[in-house]
Amino acid sequence: MKWFEIVSRIDRRIIYSLLTIFVIIPFFLKIKIPQNIMPQTERLFKFIEGIPPNDKAVMLSIDYTPQTMPECHPMAIALLRHCFKKGIPVLGVSFDPQAPGLAVVAFNTVVDEFNRQAGSRSDSLIYGRDYVYLGWKSGRVAALIEMGEGITGVFPKDYFDNATDTLTLLKRIVNYKDIALVVVLAAGDYPQEWILYAQTRYGVKIGAGLTAVMAPKYYPFLQTGQFSGMMSGMKGAAEYENLLVRYGYATETGKAEMAMNSQTLVHLLIIFLIVIGNIGYLATRKESVKRLNG
Amino acid sequence: MKQRLPLFICLVVGLLMVIQFYIPHPVSVGFNSIINKWVVILSAFALVLGIGNLVSHHISKIKKAKADRWYSLVTLISMTLMALVGLVFGIGPDSLYQKIFLNILTPLGATMFALLAYYMASAAYRAFRVRNIEASILLASAFVVMLGFMPIGQFLHPYFPQVAEWIMRVPNMASQRGILFGVAFGSIATALKIILGIERSWLGSGK
Repeated sequence: MKWFEIVSRIDRRIIYSLLTIFVIIPFFLKIKIPQNIMPQTERLFKFIEGIPPNDKAVMLSIDYTPQTMPECHPMAIALLRHCFKKGIPVLGVSFDPQAPGLAVVAFNTVVDEFNRQAGSRSDSLIYGRDYVYLGWKSGRVAALIEMGEGITGVFPKDYFDNATDTLTLLKRIVNYKDIALVVVLAAGDYPQEWILYAQTRYGVKIGAGLTAVMAPKYYPFLQTGQFSGMMSGMKGAAEYENLLVRYGYATETGKAEMAMNSQTLVHLLIIFLIVIGNIGYLATRKESVKRLNG
Repeated sequence: MKQRLPLFICLVVGLLMVIQFYIPHPVSVGFNSIINKWVVILSAFALVLGIGNLVSHHISKIKKAKADRWYSLVTLISMTLMALVGLVFGIGPDSLYQKIFLNILTPLGATMFALLAYYMASAAYRAFRVRNIEASILLASAFVVMLGFMPIGQFLHPYFPQVAEWIMRVPNMASQRGILFGVAFGSIATALKIILGIERSWLGSGK
């Protein structure tokens, strides 16, 4: 077998093995590749940066599932860290039935982290005062529209079965007028529905954290200003983590930054495979033309 | 009558919902609010119907003793167990329900999705060949976007991130916008056909 036949017919088991090695290696090596921040991530960060503390809330629509958790979960963690550090109250909500389990983990992770460092009760994050997780609701579109009239009407009880009208935060955060920004973390069409129903009718600002596969679909909404910013895939999450460090909200980056090293190596592997595959293909074609002419 | 009444309700409610969108009067807002609450409740019933459908589908598979009936059995047992665990022990952060979700369903879901990376790598190696001009353009743009979005891209050449961003902002956005407009016009046409009673497939076969 000639060299070009070998490079154009690599066994898939070799490709799978290489991929596994390339994913695992960066977790054992402390590689730090500086991130170039995409404008849409910076736009989202700066929008949140401009929200005054203890005023309007940020609503996180946590709609990712276990399948897309590696990309979207670090986004949720980074956003929660940013909001809580700035003293912005957070309302969590989900319209995907698989999301509440993951949303609770995201809230608990960040709240525990903050409360471990807190010196007193006033420094701590308190459920009902600083943040609320409303849980899952069926009839997504109707619920999105109805929240413009009143959040407690759609969610009479929160995820933990508390009556929402008794929670301090929801006494002052009544509807979209009290929400500075809704950030939709999802892999599906959720952000578009937020724009169609909540933004067009009530003018609420929307940001998004999407899987890299979904992000290209939402560029038109960025250009029109319907999106106040967007995180795209694992890279978007890593960029946000870097911005938190740059602005002094965190001392070190999180899991997305670490996972980006694996993603970078895998992308390089794929590029290498495509290149050698094409070299093999072109050499094979040249050889067949030679054979036909000769 | 069996068909006319639902068609009449659809026409009236459909038109009212369109009109109320443009009238911010308290009566209109109140009407919209009531309808939305009904929709939320009706969606919850749809979930019950979905569960019923799933159960009947899998029970019939088990009864017919099909080769993959064991998967149906696992589905039914898992669904019942999770529902019982949630109802009996609650769904709080430290509950058994949450433990099962985080330690079984989450890793399984992530694993299934992660397998895609293997297929994508193998498929990209086999399928991405410069066979013609179109394939070459696709390959070149994929290369630039991949390199531009990688942290290492900026070190290979400072223009990589900018060109990748341009591809996303201009050619990608133009095509996405075209698709969005197409989908929007299609949705408007379908909605009008349903409201005006031209499209009647939602009524079923009438039997």
